[in-house]
Amino acid sequence: MTLTLNIPRLETDRLILRGPEARDFEPIAAFYADENRSWGFGGPLDRADAWRWMATSIGHWALHGYGFFTMELKDSAAACGLTGLWNPEGWPEPELGWVVFEGFEGKGLAREGAECARRWAYHDLGMTTLTSNIKPGNDRSIALATRMGAQYEKTYVNVHLGEDLLYRHPSPEALS
Amino acid sequence: MNIAPHAPTIETRDLILRGYREGDFEAIAAFGASERARFVGGPQDRWDSWRAFMAGIGHWTLRGYGMWVVEHREAGHVAGRVGMIYNDGWHEPELGWHIYDGFEGQGFAYQACIAARAYSARHFGLDAVISYIDPENTRSVALAQRLGATFESESEVLGKPCHIYRHPHEVRP
Repeated sequence: MTLTLNIPRLETDRLILRGPEARDFEPIAAFYADENRSWGFGGPLDRADAWRWMATSIGHWALHGYGFFTMELKDSAAACGLTGLWNPEGWPEPELGWVVFEGFEGKGLAREGAECARRWAYHDLGMTTLTSNIKPGNDRSIALATRMGAQYEKTYVNVHLGEDLLYRHPSPEALS
Repeated sequence: MNIAPHAPTIETRDLILRGYREGDFEAIAAFGASERARFVGGPQDRWDSWRAFMAGIGHWTLRGYGMWVVEHREAGHVAGRVGMIYNDGWHEPELGWHIYDGFEGQGFAYQACIAARAYSARHFGLDAVISYIDPENTRSVALAQRLGATFESESEVLGKPCHIYRHPHEVRP
């Protein structure tokens, strides 16, 4: 079967989670150009590689039926970050990831979006467990994972990112 | 917004040009790992080939066109990829071709390029397109010339020197 995209649109109080679109490129390129912000997410990347990342993330949706949503603010329609499920070649298992673009941090948006994506993974995709892979030293992400109830499970060597911490989220039953 | 990024299917005498399938990855990874990929950014490891595979799908969504998987009709094997590439950093859309081990020297690349070029001119509005070619890639230079393309300029793409060849018009302007 030819690979096709079928990306849902999810809503929270303040956010719309939707599939990647061409207009997301500038905010994604800006995010990836900023090493302080993107080092835990495979960055920094130049414009050309940021474009390739975006194209790759669309292909990921086609292959798996899940991927990274663009988080969009309901009130301004601004793209404020990414959250979703990521499982590229060589990954230990599907993970829940999140990033927030410059100017949108400290408002709880990452948690709001990531919890929405986690509910979708459990309720709609039927996943029974979820991890988050976090680079050592990425204290903000570790803090958010912990607030979401995830627990450190192990340190492993990621095929792309090197040494990486694996956190495991509460099961669907534990969250219900 | 749901987008169906499937490429149209094009049939030639020996080949089928079609959209990507999950099972295409091993052929793409084998090509990516081989010396054959040295003129198209390789050789590369499995991870990078996977990214190239995924990005090839995303390209169709972002641009509305892209590379097809070329399947040999009788053998049923993936013989390569051909089509229009317009990654960020490219000057303009280019006709590109990757021919996999065992399928060269039989005119398949020519057949696939003719079909992809004609389709892209008529349906995507991409006519008189370029091809970026590493000047040391003599087989690709020869193919470009057989396709009627002519040398236009020395250039570079993503910081790598290359030659730009210009293809003839498919549709009268």
